[in-house]
Amino acid sequence: MCRLRIDWLVRHLLGVLAVVAGGLVVVVIFSLLQGAWPAINSGLLGHFFSDPNWQPGSVRDPQYGLVPMLAGSFLVTVAAALIATPLGVAGAVFHHFYAPRQIAKWNLRAMELLAGMPAVVLGFWGLTVVVPAIARIEPPGQSLLAAALVLALMILPIIALTTQAALAAVPLSQVQAAAGLGIGRAGTILKIALPMARRGIGAGVLLALARAIGETLVVVMLCGNIAQIPGSLFDPIRPVTSTIALEMGYATASHKSLLYAAGLILVLVVGLLVGWLSFRKNLDHDAVN
Amino acid sequence: MKNVTLSTSSTNPASSGTAISIRDLSISYGDFEAIKDVNLEIEAGSVTALVGPSGCGKSSFLHALNRLTDLVPTCRVAGSVCFGEGEAIYGRGIDVLALRRKVGMVFQKPNPFPQSIRRNFEIPLREHGVPKKEVSGIIEQCLRDVGLWEEVRDRLDRSAMKLSGGQQQRLCIARALALDPKVILFDEPCSALDPITSSVVEDHIAALRERVTVVIVTHNLAQARRISDRIAVFWIRDGVGTIVEKGVTAEVFANPQDASARCYLEGVCG
Amino acid sequence: MASSFLTPSTTKTRRAQIGDWLIGGAGALASFVTLGALTWLLFDLIRLGLPHLSFEFLTGDMKSAGREGGIGPIIISTLLILGCCLLSAIPLGVGCALWLSEYVQRGSRVARAITGGVDLLASVPSIVFGLFGMTFFCQFLGLGFSILSGGLTLTCMVLPILVRTTLSAMNALPPDLRPAAGALGLTKATMLGQILLPAALPGIMIGITLGVGRALAETAALLFTSGYATRWPETIHDSGRAISVHIYDLAMNIPNGGEKASASALVLLLMIFAVNLVATLLADRWLKTRSLS
Repeated sequence: MCRLRIDWLVRHLLGVLAVVAGGLVVVVIFSLLQGAWPAINSGLLGHFFSDPNWQPGSVRDPQYGLVPMLAGSFLVTVAAALIATPLGVAGAVFHHFYAPRQIAKWNLRAMELLAGMPAVVLGFWGLTVVVPAIARIEPPGQSLLAAALVLALMILPIIALTTQAALAAVPLSQVQAAAGLGIGRAGTILKIALPMARRGIGAGVLLALARAIGETLVVVMLCGNIAQIPGSLFDPIRPVTSTIALEMGYATASHKSLLYAAGLILVLVVGLLVGWLSFRKNLDHDAVN
Repeated sequence: MKNVTLSTSSTNPASSGTAISIRDLSISYGDFEAIKDVNLEIEAGSVTALVGPSGCGKSSFLHALNRLTDLVPTCRVAGSVCFGEGEAIYGRGIDVLALRRKVGMVFQKPNPFPQSIRRNFEIPLREHGVPKKEVSGIIEQCLRDVGLWEEVRDRLDRSAMKLSGGQQQRLCIARALALDPKVILFDEPCSALDPITSSVVEDHIAALRERVTVVIVTHNLAQARRISDRIAVFWIRDGVGTIVEKGVTAEVFANPQDASARCYLEGVCG
Repeated sequence: MASSFLTPSTTKTRRAQIGDWLIGGAGALASFVTLGALTWLLFDLIRLGLPHLSFEFLTGDMKSAGREGGIGPIIISTLLILGCCLLSAIPLGVGCALWLSEYVQRGSRVARAITGGVDLLASVPSIVFGLFGMTFFCQFLGLGFSILSGGLTLTCMVLPILVRTTLSAMNALPPDLRPAAGALGLTKATMLGQILLPAALPGIMIGITLGVGRALAETAALLFTSGYATRWPETIHDSGRAISVHIYDLAMNIPNGGEKASASALVLLLMIFAVNLVATLLADRWLKTRSLS
């Protein structure tokens, strides 16, 4: 009798835990909405897209244009992806098809190490090495380029590891078929393995993009923190994440609610990316079945 | 038996099969010896069947003939394999890719590339430098050779994976034929197919006689009897695979000399 | 002359060779650049920070805004934040996954809703979690800037990792375990506790390690939740600075903080490494005891 009682308890306890875990995101979004409500209510949100600059604290000429920062987020993410994708894919191809076993093992370890590297450490290194190097070419050094380079380093393991897994998933029968037809390594990679790994690589890139858009530390340390649409790679920028991180500390009430709204926009964008990703995965699943 | 059409190019003597001479072939994977000191002479243009229970090294032997064993890092091959006028394929400076063009292979489980039927031909043909304008003609010819042309002529740009198992396997044979090989190796090509499809594929393999040299590994003794000119029986001796009986198929089946071979061929064991 | 069997077309062979070299070269270059950057980073950290690593550094008080002294209080705060995080995240994450795995139909609405909620949680950027934590834990629940607030905020970030890895650990269990338990008349709770969980433990441990690594590395979510204090924390209600936040502060706000920042970064990396090591050893030991008995 006691056993059944315990069984009932365990079942319901676990159920409660599951509901809390699943419902947490609802609490988060609700909380954000609550914080953003004053901004939404007062119609300030429209200013996100109509005002040219971001000067919410200014008394004389308060402006709430989010566009420069959205541009900053977008540009640094795309730039990082453009750097990281070829490096990651090429590195994975080398790891899977060319590297001798010992080197491949260490390569994998190194990639996993890089994947676990805290963003703050990467940002710190960027500050001490990358920024001065760029400053030598064109001051001030803290710029779109600096942030993009280190951000690329941060997201590269995601792309490399997913590409590596996608290449490993190419069935041996295909590699044998190609070999049996006298197709060399380069031909096998370009015409058979990479096309088959396309979906996996795409998923990795999407994941990397989602990670990059949401990244705060690396960009706040390296981007120069000037909310503007950059004219060149060497100009400072300020992505949305940096704005929230920097201004949260001293923002006044209405300013703060704008930051909450910006946060919600971030959640929306990343949520869409990740949603697209799982949509693709479900498509794959149905296609296979 | 189904009527099988042969391409007119099969009467071209230049594309007839090549003889293979295997001497003292031993294959090992790390510490594991798969086969040891195997000798076999394969006649040009003949169909040779390799039979025997599982695990006797037949597939390893076959894979050594087009150096597909190179794909396995731990595999060591000793002895010699010579094609035609005594050209050894193991040694320094051998162009393995050219070898595999001359020696094609069809695998147990059909493995077309997950792309269109056309691409399945284009990729190997272009890799081997065949001019673009010849590709379509070769595709049609080879698909006719395996009796697929009428079935797929309208869907060449659709995925090869949508074909049935038997069609896929015939596609793989056609794909191997497209490179105009002198030898085609078949590794149990019908074992993944149902009996009816199996017999269709078998007929196409038999029709390749004279045009190419065929070496076929099969578990189906009746099939071996039907289509092969010569046969080699593999068995495990002293823990290692080796050939225990070989010769003209009809003679070997009628009068096997080796006790294990007799036992196997009569269906009593193995 | 009789045509030889193996006549290769020399131009084609050369083309194939060149292609192979190009791709291999590009790949090797890419790997080299990546690994080079990583090595450079580690080298710099060691060069700047290793001289400062000492027992006094690890246990001493902070002085002069971090330019001197040690990071003792910070290490303690970090461990406390981690502890709070794990104490809430593990029951929630593992419990949720167990419920989804054993008590609910695979594709049912409830299962999909909860999985969807957890997945959505995973896509929230860390700074937004910081906003949430500040509003919910610090203000609404009245916990203020404290280690507890920081730990609970980190729970939200670590939760999806735990749920996902526990779920795959449960899915990877041999399928005949459950019918075997059922045939012996065990209750679900017993089966779960005595058979399934122990078998899935290595996988779950890996998930916890991943979560801990993530929590240790996290900075943005802690900026406005756990506070900046650098004294020795006395309770979890005290404000405390995590080591990642400390590195950020030294790097951005303190001139000449570079060397101490490097040293702190080394400590952080060592902590992450140590966690990985412990988890691997635990998993191995557990597997050994199970197979012996």
